[in-house]
Formats: sequence, structure tokens, C-alpha cells
Amino acid sequence: MTARSLEGVVLPRARATARRGSPLARRRALMAYVFLFPAVILLAVFTLVPFVQAIVLSFQDWDGVSAGTSYVGLANYKFVLHDTVFWSSMRNVLIFGAAGFLIGNALSLGMAMAVNRVHHGKAFFRTAFYLPGVFSVVVIGMMFSWLLAPNAGILNRMLGSVGLSGLQHNWLEDPATALPAVAAVFLWYHWGFGFILYLAGLQDMPVELYEAASLDGARGWATFRYVTWPELLPVTAIVSLLTLLGALQVFGTVQVLTNGGPADHTMVPTLRIYEEAFTNRRFGSAAAMSVIFGGALVLLAVLHLWFSRRKR
Amino acid sequence: MTKRVGLYGLLSVAAVGALFPIVWLLIGSLQTSDELYRGKHLLPAKPQWSNYLTAWTDGDLGTYLPNSVIYTVSAVAGILVVSSMAGYALARIDFRGKAAVTFGLLAVMIIPAPASFIAQYKLMISLGMTNSRLGYVLILISAGIPISSLIMRGFFANLPKDLEEAAALDGSSSLNTFARVILPLARPGLIAVAVIQGLSVWNEYLLALVLFDDDTLMPIQRGLTNFVSAETPVQNILLAATAISVLPVVVFYVFAQRQVVQGISSGALK
Repeated sequence: MTARSLEGVVLPRARATARRGSPLARRRALMAYVFLFPAVILLAVFTLVPFVQAIVLSFQDWDGVSAGTSYVGLANYKFVLHDTVFWSSMRNVLIFGAAGFLIGNALSLGMAMAVNRVHHGKAFFRTAFYLPGVFSVVVIGMMFSWLLAPNAGILNRMLGSVGLSGLQHNWLEDPATALPAVAAVFLWYHWGFGFILYLAGLQDMPVELYEAASLDGARGWATFRYVTWPELLPVTAIVSLLTLLGALQVFGTVQVLTNGGPADHTMVPTLRIYEEAFTNRRFGSAAAMSVIFGGALVLLAVLHLWFSRRKR
Repeated sequence: MTKRVGLYGLLSVAAVGALFPIVWLLIGSLQTSDELYRGKHLLPAKPQWSNYLTAWTDGDLGTYLPNSVIYTVSAVAGILVVSSMAGYALARIDFRGKAAVTFGLLAVMIIPAPASFIAQYKLMISLGMTNSRLGYVLILISAGIPISSLIMRGFFANLPKDLEEAAALDGSSSLNTFARVILPLARPGLIAVAVIQGLSVWNEYLLALVLFDDDTLMPIQRGLTNFVSAETPVQNILLAATAISVLPVVVFYVFAQRQVVQGISSGALK
């Protein structure tokens, strides 16, 4: 039975039976509740309860082992307030986000426009550009600790072989280069995501818009400025927000690349929270950090939803 | 003409940039330690396939890889079942409280992992589910439900109206209609969800790090970092282990790239 063959078969009488309050409608409502039950239960237990628990825990003292927790009021928050590493970790991920916003967006949009123009190899370029996006954070960390290794790493070896040994660095352990290096790695694996969305946006764009613009004498930059850019603005909004959310939550890659070092120069909030809990055994202040940091993320996500709803 | 050449040149540079790290990893994984550190040549004189064998045994990949397969298959299956049911109810049934449930889904979707992983760890302790395959899979399923349900809802909503009523007239029960008529029609949605959730479960790291300290239960991502922090393994073996871990993903992606790309955009634009 296909959808097509079913269309038009329905009698008006059958439609009437599905009105609210009819036996069929009531049976189907029951079915809806049954169908939603597993999702609601799982989300309640494994997502909602921990979220609330994190808030509760942020007012408590817990070492991660003992059975009991005790309330300590705002002590955890006061403690976190003075944790300069936590706040500088927030600044670090904001730098990643800014890099993603300025450089990543430009790269994504530029490459999407280029791929949209060419006739051959579209699929190849699209596949290649998003490939980094399917690697795990751990794999990416491993790849780049090898590429950026001080002596055997290909980057330093190439710089050496073209006579630029002066530019060689211990990229991941030199405080001057570690943060930019991690930001570059973030850009490398994240720009393909924006590229995919921009490409989809470009392919959805009505051809008539360009035809009309070219009739009006618009060329090159003008077409971009007055047709492409405004049309893609909603995509830009979503890509920017998702890039920011992605940058803020960077964790595994940093743990593998630098573990937050040298001297916390590349610390990121999630890693700080993890360490506070599992290394320092202060789950209460870790929870306070995750409430502060998570709150900021939730705010951003609300913004994202608001944008994407408005677009419809 | 020159413009075209420039365009291809630009795209090729970007493609090399995207592909080079993985190619370099693969090359390194086939070299001897000596070549790796002192070698003057880019390619291995003789591919050291034995690196892969060593990586497999030394890195315990025979434990971690099957674990990852178990977690990925069961979590994706769970996500598909739970979210197609939820998505169906939200798209095609009129019931009291629908708006509230939809809003609730959106609300839990925006709870980020960094906000709750500490408390999830605590919850798992109280449920006696640390170092538990089931516990890990349940958390993964729950993490995948909101976005997947919304994606499925979109696909169900686009099916022709009155499908259910027509099937009911044919004497099909509601459940039967869902399983035999509706689900097959929503196949593109199921595939999109399976593909993006499959990738995200395979690559999951944070929860695996927090929930497991039993080596025999760890998925590959966690196993890899275990291997790194062990008694400083040799670089080429490490590269081979990384290559083994990423190979299934690359093969999968190359074959399903269309679905991956579609899944990404349908997920992000929801």
C-alpha cells in the first residue's frame, strides 16, 4: 500500500469519525500517550533529574565517594567566583567562538559559494570539506598532537626545510602559541559544518533573484552584497550560534592536545569542571561551575531556537 | 577561464587542508619509529602493516572496538524506536497536552552536556549504574531523543493526511498502521536520524570518560586515551591505533555522505 494509492480513497464519513471526543479519537489519544511514554520517562530520569540535581549539588558539599552530602549555602559559588582559571577558561572558549565566527564563517561561506559555482567535483569537495566533522574529538586531538609535535611534527619539519626554522615553535607547549594552535584545530574541524548549511542555503535560493539582479546591472560584489548575503542571513545566524555553542563546549580535543596546559593557558570550562570534580574531588564547586556555564549555554540555545523559529 | 582555474585552485587548497591530517596520520601509521623521527622521506620505505597488529593487541582494541559497536547499535536502535514513536504521536495525533510535550522536548534539548554530566555521574552512582553498559546506553538514548523526535515529527507531518483513516477503513489496527504503513514511508527520516546519531554515539567521549573505569567496558574513544596515557607507547603504534578507530567512521561516511549531509542540515535547521 503506497501513500499515493491511499490518497483520495478516504470517505468524508471516515474523516468525521476522527473528531475529538469520538471513540476513534479517544483511542488514538491513548495511543499518543503510550507512544510518548518511553521518551518522557527516559528524558525525565536521565536528563531532567540530573539537570535539577546539578543545581541542588551546587549548594552542597560532596567528594564523589561518600554517601552523604551536606548543604553549604553559597560557599561553592563564592569559591568559583575566585577561581581565576575557570573564568579565564570561559574567556578562552569565547576566543574560539570569535575565531569561529570571524574566520570560520568566512571560510564556510566562501567555500560554499565556490562549490556552488563549479560543475565538476562538487560531491568530492563537499565530502572532503565535511570529513573532519565526522572525526571524534579524541582522533582530532591525536592527529594534531602529531602534526604539531615539536621535533618530528610535520609543521616544524616543513618550516625547517624551507629555511624558516625561525618560525618553528613548540606549538602546544609554548604559552604564546598554545591557545591560537587549539583555536586553529577547532576551526579546522568545525568550518565544514557551516559550509554544509551555507551550501544547502545557496542551493535553496531562487534563481530568479539572481536573474533579476543581473537585469538590474548587479555584478560580482553587488550581487553578493544585495542578493546572496541578505538571503543567507538566517543561515548565518544559525551557523554563528551553533559555532559559538560548539566552541564553548570544546573538551575532548583540548584534553588530548594540551590537557589545558601549559599552565592552564588553554583551559576550557568543561575540562575545568571535570578536573574540579574528578581530580580535586570537589563535586559541589564543580556543580556550581556547571550551573554557571550551563546557564550561559542554555541562554544561547534559547537564542538559537528563537532565531530558527522566527525563520519559518 | 582564469577565474574557473582560480576557483578550482582555491577549492583544492581547502581540500588538501581538510584531508592532509588524516593522510599524514595514515602515512605515519605505516612507518617505522626510525622513519618517523629521522626519516628524510615522506613515504614509508616499506609499509609496516605490523604496526596495526601491534596496535590491535597492545591497545586492547579487540575489547574497545566491539564495545563501541555494541553501544552504537543499541543506542541507535533505542533512539529510533523511542523517537519515531514520540515523533509520530506529536505529528499525527490530536491529544490533550501536545503543546506542553513539544515545548518540553525543546526545553530538554537545550540542556547542554557540560551542565549535567557531573550530576549524571551522581545519578548513576545512586542507581548502581557506574561501569554499566545499560546505564551508558540509556543516557546516550536519552541524549539523542529530543532532536531525533523533532526530526521524525517533521518527516511524519509531511506524509499525506488521512493515511491512518484509510488504513483503518481497510481494517488495519492503529498499531499495525503505524508499523506497516507509516514507518516505511518515513524511512528517509529514520535513516537521517540513524546516521547522525550513529556518528555522535560512536564519537561520544565525555560520558564514557566519566562513567567507566573498568577497561573491559570502555568504548574506543575512551580506550584510545587510555592507550595514550599508558606507559608512553610508541608514536607509530599510537597512530595505527587511531587509524583503526577512525577507519569505520571514514568508510561509513564515504558511503553514506549524502545521508550524513542531509542529516546534519535537517538536524541544525530544525
